[in-house]
Amino acid sequence: MKTPAWRYVEDLLAGRKPRPFKASEDEAAEVRAAILLRSEQDSGEPSEEFVAALRDRLAGELAEQPAPSTGGRRRFVKITTAAAAAAAAGAVIDHALVTQTAAAPEKQNLVPDNGEWRAVVASTDLPDGTVRPFDLGAVTGFLRRSGGEVSAVSAICTHLGCRLRLDAPERKLNCPCHRTSFNVDGSLAEHELPVAPAPLPSLLVRESGGHVEVFVPPPA
Amino acid sequence: MGERAESQHERQRAEPRGLHLVGQDVYADWEAVYRDNVGRIHRLMYAKVGNRPDAEDLTTEVFLTALKPLRVTASVGEVRSYLLATARTVLAEYWRRTLGRQVTTLDEELGISTPEPTPENPTAPARAAAILAALPERYRRILELRFLGACSLREAADEMGVTVGNAKVLQHRALRQAATVAEKELS
Repeated sequence: MKTPAWRYVEDLLAGRKPRPFKASEDEAAEVRAAILLRSEQDSGEPSEEFVAALRDRLAGELAEQPAPSTGGRRRFVKITTAAAAAAAAGAVIDHALVTQTAAAPEKQNLVPDNGEWRAVVASTDLPDGTVRPFDLGAVTGFLRRSGGEVSAVSAICTHLGCRLRLDAPERKLNCPCHRTSFNVDGSLAEHELPVAPAPLPSLLVRESGGHVEVFVPPPA
Repeated sequence: MGERAESQHERQRAEPRGLHLVGQDVYADWEAVYRDNVGRIHRLMYAKVGNRPDAEDLTTEVFLTALKPLRVTASVGEVRSYLLATARTVLAEYWRRTLGRQVTTLDEELGISTPEPTPENPTAPARAAAILAALPERYRRILELRFLGACSLREAADEMGVTVGNAKVLQHRALRQAATVAEKELS
């Protein structure tokens, strides 16, 4: 009678990491009951060793964050709306209703340490007012021509790194992960996060020999 | 931890931070966020998965995911809500990966979340007691011996005067029935 569900419960009782298995509805209910009974006996206070070890790990992770590449101190300011708070919490935080928007985080540029210019599209294929996605492997982004000037922004959401999709009619870059959207110039359009993500970094672009070129890292 | 949180709190109050409203406290730094929330998140995860190795892994995942975008002056309530929302996603992914079903969720906790959520989930022990009370005597007994009394299967069998095989069957059926009771209670 050593079914996977039985083993799972015995692992719970022994304080071991239980082994995964494909559970039926009944088995899931059994496991649920076992978990409930386990939590009767132990409040689940973390061990001091665990708390200290995770603290050290986080300190290491946070120290690895690259410094902002543009001049000036990066300011972290929040844009809080009732909708953002409600989406994150499933509940409206009353004091958040009156918190007002402050200045947005500064925009940054993405410039490789060394790189090369790569042609993306023919200049004629990027008429004024258009936005075009491009994918050069290491760098994905959106090209735009506005008032004759060509510019490009990264296609990676500054929240958790999901790839943005172009909504051409609305002129928006939408994140499929958390309902964040950016304007085609890279500025934040809307979000439902507790903390406003930074605007999209700009990429270096130029027009040369009838092509729009983007400065990208050299191939590995 | 209490003392440390106190002093950070004091420092916080001493520094004017723009136009924050009274009552909208903020954390001094990421470490203050961590110290204040690691216990809560771990207790929550433990109550949802029932074992420490997984509760520790999931707690780690929550902080690794949430802390980087959290380097901001968000209020304590917002930070807690954000951590809870992250924990909910992490837990859902854990069940999808391990048993392929959402065995437990954090929906309930999110639903009742407030700027100052209660430190733990006080309903779990009460629920467990209610479920045990609803079971027939022998079912209740085997679960009490194994889950609350930390008895091995053999010890529980001896205690009840049955064979190990019988105790196994009893435990299996008792859990099934406990599950049924728990489901009913939910609906």
